[in-house]
Amino acid sequence: MSNPSRTSELSADVPRPGPVPPLRVGRPTRATLANGLDAMVVARPSVPRVEVRLTVPAGAAIGPNAATSELLRAGILLGTKALNQEEVSEAIQRLGGSLQIQQDHDRMHIAASALAEAEEELYRLVCTVITEPAFPADDLETERVKLIEGLRTARATPQFLAGERLQHLIYGSHPYGRPEPAEAAIKKTTRGQLADLHRATFLPSAAQITVVGDVEPRRTVTRLRRAFASWSGPRKSAKVPQVHPQSRPEITFIDRPGLVQTVILLGTSAPPVGHPDQIPLTLASAVLGGSFSSRLMANLREDKGYTYSPHTMSEAHLRDSLLGAALDVRTEVTAAAHVEVMYELGRLATVEVEPAELEESRNYLAGVRVIFLQTQAGLASSLAQVRGYGLDHRYLEGYSDRLAAVSPADLRRVAARYLSPANLTTVMVGDAAAAADDLARVFPVKVKRSGRGANH
Amino acid sequence: MARSSTPGPRLRRLRLKNGLDVILSSERTSPTVAVGMYYRAGFRLEEEGRTGFAHLFEHLMFQGTATVPKADFGRLITGAGGVLNGSTRHDYTNYFEILPASALEMACFIEADRMENLDLNETTLQNQIDVVKEEVRVNVLNRPYGGFSWLWLSQYAFSTYPNAHNFYGEFADLEAATVADARAFYTTWYGPGNATLVLVGDFDEDQAVVLVERHFGAVAARPAPPEPETAEPMPKRRAEHERQDPLAPNPRVAIGYRTAPFGTPDHLPLALASRILSDGRSSRLQRRLIREREILLHVDGGPHFPIGDAFEFKGPALFTIEATPRPGISTGAAVTAIDEELAQIATEGPTPDELLRAKRRELGSYHASTDSRLGRLSELGVLAAVHNRPELADQLPQLYQEVTAEQVQAAIANWLQPKHSTVLHWLPGSEAQS
Repeated sequence: MSNPSRTSELSADVPRPGPVPPLRVGRPTRATLANGLDAMVVARPSVPRVEVRLTVPAGAAIGPNAATSELLRAGILLGTKALNQEEVSEAIQRLGGSLQIQQDHDRMHIAASALAEAEEELYRLVCTVITEPAFPADDLETERVKLIEGLRTARATPQFLAGERLQHLIYGSHPYGRPEPAEAAIKKTTRGQLADLHRATFLPSAAQITVVGDVEPRRTVTRLRRAFASWSGPRKSAKVPQVHPQSRPEITFIDRPGLVQTVILLGTSAPPVGHPDQIPLTLASAVLGGSFSSRLMANLREDKGYTYSPHTMSEAHLRDSLLGAALDVRTEVTAAAHVEVMYELGRLATVEVEPAELEESRNYLAGVRVIFLQTQAGLASSLAQVRGYGLDHRYLEGYSDRLAAVSPADLRRVAARYLSPANLTTVMVGDAAAAADDLARVFPVKVKRSGRGANH
Repeated sequence: MARSSTPGPRLRRLRLKNGLDVILSSERTSPTVAVGMYYRAGFRLEEEGRTGFAHLFEHLMFQGTATVPKADFGRLITGAGGVLNGSTRHDYTNYFEILPASALEMACFIEADRMENLDLNETTLQNQIDVVKEEVRVNVLNRPYGGFSWLWLSQYAFSTYPNAHNFYGEFADLEAATVADARAFYTTWYGPGNATLVLVGDFDEDQAVVLVERHFGAVAARPAPPEPETAEPMPKRRAEHERQDPLAPNPRVAIGYRTAPFGTPDHLPLALASRILSDGRSSRLQRRLIREREILLHVDGGPHFPIGDAFEFKGPALFTIEATPRPGISTGAAVTAIDEELAQIATEGPTPDELLRAKRRELGSYHASTDSRLGRLSELGVLAAVHNRPELADQLPQLYQEVTAEQVQAAIANWLQPKHSTVLHWLPGSEAQS
């Protein structure tokens, strides 16, 4: 047994709390603007601020190459026809807020905030930034150099290498499997390509805007209508291609001589948000590696001392989720650690979880969500995320009930289907000369000698 | 700076007979509570030969007690729908839980229990030594720019052991730690008189006071620990050091200046100066050195950067500026350019708009932090435990508004001088131990 000291009854003297409180979002105000922009507004006057999330389909939904896509994300912040990049930054700072742009495989996300008194100016600024980017040539050159420097650092980071390889093994040529851009592609992307991709991406009819904060929702809708009135574009629906995920029976071991730890990364394609298996699978993932008290923590860290932070993770996509587990272990225990990981995965897929452990994981997931939704920023991000799947606040509010409906048998079923050792693809990054022989005595391993290693 | 010793309207503060300092901030906007225990025990008081011990001991605080076995400890909190963590810093170590409001009493029980009944034994000590070594490997040794710059710069910038040792710990020192060391450390530094408890969130104040008295009142008082001696003189001339990193693809550089101590006239102006200098694309250093002069790709910095802020320390600390030069530009040229920009703002001061924007950002970030249980807890905890001034949390936005351009200029001129700085050139290369 991995954790012999675990008792099914918790220490008797400790005062026990009541149930996790229900999640309450409040009733949002919804509106579709004349240009098709789909707006949702929630009043949450906890502090005098306002949070905005604006998302548009991008990446896999549009289908550009990775370099153009990444340069577009960076290029949006380089200023507009009227304001250079510093003036955009100055404008947002005067509103007491911030403006950031991120991109995942399916969408571009603009996250902006301001003091509540500057609400309407914030909307106007966001609209200007996304609709009138200037992509100045000089600044674009600097941005290319920054992106290349960032990619070189990423490619020197073992966890990044493992993640990039894992996605490629699972998704192949699908955009979800696409590696980060090559330096040459970043250098040769043209301003014309950026402008074309910008026009294809920032379409109001495909966009969603979510506002949470110290606002009066009906007045906010009026302000949104005014601020975004100038944003126009054709009505097009973006579609992400179906995924055809693969799994690999052998461990792919990327050799980086000199590393002192092995990154172990396992993953699989799992159902998207909203699928009936997704909630039981979230619970299975929590039991395995979702918290300080999870099985991977109890076994590999608190019993064996092999690793600092073993955990499970899930990256939500429109078509599926990339579900996995990750840990970094000192080189000499690579094989021993992987045996324990396989044991924990196998146990989850074959032995029903005790009701008490399941209940604790339910409480944990519900509690974490309550904590996250209590800030304006957390609520805005959560609403924006579920809206991307055609869901709304009711999905968030119903989370606890859906968790409560999962039985130990459900959990074992989804664990066996998605998280079993036979279903997972494994990538390791480490010093093959020191780790791979041991590993190969227990598991099938394919070592990939890396072209370019550390600087020695 | 305004001097007010009475707590702000939203705070209540009390001291138990055993010396425990308690801060309550009742905020009923959502049904959760945050409970934080701050011990005035950080990196700086580690003994020679025991580098990294304060952080190792933090790990032991999660290993169970005579009442709550190791395997139950985290389960109680996560199983109630809560999250938990802790962190070790220069002058304090904190432990916190964020939980549903109904778990307040349980959290009080757990914190009081581990203040008095910690189970220190050979098995968990050896286990956590292994875990901490893995933490150092993943955060420092097995990644590019590991520990850059916070872990290394202070080792060059200071000359006395309390400030200049390896805070994460030399492996030999971690391995040499004993259960007896842990017992002595616990007895000396983890008593109620050396701690501040902070409760933030959805509770009735009077009922919370009852819970606090019930669970912490019975913890025995311990003798007051000695005040750690950390003062050391300001360097008189710039020192330059190099370190090679076999995983780093590009050079970086960090400049560490001494930063203005809490409570001195330059303290808040220098904190505001860090926003003016490097917060966002419109900041002075980013605008001048990335866009206009095309010397750097990145620049950022501030008091106690990148692991803290202007309030997180009591003894001497650094105002750090980190920069990545453009390819083909040396770290030395990057430092020269930063010196030039600082000299200019030290001579001319910030523009009115630069000052205004920094103040607006401070106000926005105060509200954002207050909106989060953990944000509010952290502000109150640090101000109370390190500076005995929790009421400042709600006064800072106003105090920042009162800072003048002349004060910012003087703070930069007084503190960010090349002759008082230490430069660390971080270079791609294989001699990891330079």
